Amino acid sequence: MAGSPSRDNAAHSARAPWLTLKTREMLEAWLFVSPTFIGFLIFFLGPLVAIFYYSTTEWNLLSQQATFVGLRNFENALLENPDFWHVVRNSVIFALGLVPLNMALALSLALALSRPFFGVVFFRTVFFAPVVTSAIAWAIVWKFMLQGQGGAVNQMLAWIGIDGPNWLREPNWAMAAVIVTRVIKMVGLNMILYIAALQSIPRDYEEAATLEGASRWQVFRMITWPLLAPTTLVIMVLTTIGSFKVFDHIYQMTGGGPENGTLVLAFYIYQQGFKFFNVGYAAALALIMFAIVMVLTLAQVMLRRRDME
Amino acid sequence: MKTAMKLALSALALCALPVQSPAQELRMTVWTGNDAHLKMLNGIAAGFIAKHPGVTVKFETVPVADYTQKLTFQVAGGNAPDIAWMMEDAAPAFENAGLLMDIGPTLKATEGYSFEDFSEPAMALWQKDGKIYGVPFSTSPFLIYYNKDMFDKAGLEDPNQLAAKGEWNMQKFQDVAKKVTEANPGKWGFEFKDGEGYASRMTHALLPPVRAYGGDLWANGQCGLDKPEAVAAIKQLHDMVFKDKSIVPPGEQGDYFSGNSAMTVNQISRASKMPEAGFKWGIAPLPSGPAGEAPVIGQAALTVFASGKNTELAAQLVAEMTSKDNVAVMAQFFPPARKSVLESDAFVNSNKLIPPEQMKSVAAAIVNGRVHPSHEHVPQIFAAMAPRVDALWRADADVEEALKGVCAAIQPLL
Repeated sequence: MAGSPSRDNAAHSARAPWLTLKTREMLEAWLFVSPTFIGFLIFFLGPLVAIFYYSTTEWNLLSQQATFVGLRNFENALLENPDFWHVVRNSVIFALGLVPLNMALALSLALALSRPFFGVVFFRTVFFAPVVTSAIAWAIVWKFMLQGQGGAVNQMLAWIGIDGPNWLREPNWAMAAVIVTRVIKMVGLNMILYIAALQSIPRDYEEAATLEGASRWQVFRMITWPLLAPTTLVIMVLTTIGSFKVFDHIYQMTGGGPENGTLVLAFYIYQQGFKFFNVGYAAALALIMFAIVMVLTLAQVMLRRRDME
Repeated sequence: MKTAMKLALSALALCALPVQSPAQELRMTVWTGNDAHLKMLNGIAAGFIAKHPGVTVKFETVPVADYTQKLTFQVAGGNAPDIAWMMEDAAPAFENAGLLMDIGPTLKATEGYSFEDFSEPAMALWQKDGKIYGVPFSTSPFLIYYNKDMFDKAGLEDPNQLAAKGEWNMQKFQDVAKKVTEANPGKWGFEFKDGEGYASRMTHALLPPVRAYGGDLWANGQCGLDKPEAVAAIKQLHDMVFKDKSIVPPGEQGDYFSGNSAMTVNQISRASKMPEAGFKWGIAPLPSGPAGEAPVIGQAALTVFASGKNTELAAQLVAEMTSKDNVAVMAQFFPPARKSVLESDAFVNSNKLIPPEQMKSVAAAIVNGRVHPSHEHVPQIFAAMAPRVDALWRADADVEEALKGVCAAIQPLL
């Protein structure tokens, strides 16, 4: 704004003498955030509240009839529908496969690439590039590479005498394939977080320990790893939530198949809501997923806190 | 002074505007985005607009893969189109939800429309209790598209030549698929419809051979896939995929249109893709089986949404689009359900890409063909089927057991 603050205030008081300075500033602040805030209310908070209502209805999108059914949708998911537990199992397997692999790889890469050396920027870029690649393009390319015959992966395996499986058409291999391709896609992000954390650890600690005769492993175990704990927690929470939310990758690579082998929770919700139009049931599933992610996050935070004490 | 005049004139012009009748817009959703298709549709709409001044017609393309899904969301959002091009598998759900208008009275009141001209089997899906919910717009048989160059390379007679000799049956189909694969290393003899035979087109992959053997996917509320005819047909397909290796297997890309498969199944509207394909090609009927010829038809109809603002006008546009003259115009892409047009020379000569003899087999298939079985719960049925059909398409699968699994999964929904 032009003009000095005092002149500005004077002008304001003259225009609206009944407002105190504090109220006016408050009003202005609300005015500035209102465009974003209104969008947030309409497109985020509104649906978030509405989903609680939807989850208690049986709603046919075509005939526009919503009948109140209480907790029927939750009962159906948790107690009656065998698909639901199969899907939860798949989501858990996906998370158990993805989170440790992603974190171990991210940390190894970060340890290798946190110190400056010739070409370090190149390698960091290489590992980070998949993160900013379109998820759909990534999945399509991998789908080609993982073809049973003539896929690049199996051709390479053939050079070393291994007869590769038809990756995306056999349930167990399909799950392994979507996990690994997802890890390669996302590991760069966690790598960057770890590199930042590693670079913020003062060198003195390490030097002091080395002078005292600590081995490299001891330095890592006793100094680096504990100091990385807050970052590790953040990464673990974010990666776990991300793994439960995975959708685009599954949608493009396997469509939940084969034999529902990669049908994970987020994709199942999409299927129920947007393919079969069971809107109420899908809303209930979304709330269950929300609860699962919430519990996992709280558990991780609490475990960490206990660890640190 | 000049300025004042200008102002006065503009004011006059403004006053004059509301005198014109307000424009009525009719919106129609279609799955095609093809220029040739849209040009033809707009041409037909122009004829309607000429008779109804002040009306505009807008064709809205919705991609085919999620056409019904997007249409459903338009309805749920209170923004249904006036007219929709409705796919056969979606029809019962929309009809039962009471969304479609009975356009019978409008059609029958239209001069020179002659509703009786529509073939009875083609209308079956769109009539209920004397009410008419749609007019078939495309009654398009499944055909074999073949790559003539690949057949020549293998020194084989093509499917049309075999059909002319009366030898084009399921056994021959398996034979030539195997031989043409052997003669064209790295390619396949046959690709399922749109390369989606193990996913979104799984029933389209199974239906033609199952019908040729005398079975069906389901009929009268009974799953048909575990019946002996269906089992025999699907066993043959399974052998072709895993023993002969002549059908593009699950997880592989073997696109017919880019010359990677010698044959595929598709409809006549795909002929518009062929000029760019870069190989000699032709179309032939589906191979016959133990049950004789069993042509399969895919169908779409024009329907009017009861919630629209101009339902009567929309129904009139449907009548216009499906008049004798316009059906003949559209026949080049979308085969007619009007007997008079089907039997005409105009139809067999309508498609520049397809020779008249081959168009005759199209016409025959329309008259004798049956549509894909429909059901109100098709999305749920397909979802229940998909994982069990995956189990069928494994090299070591017991076909009969797998098909029993498919039936067990879908029977409660039928």
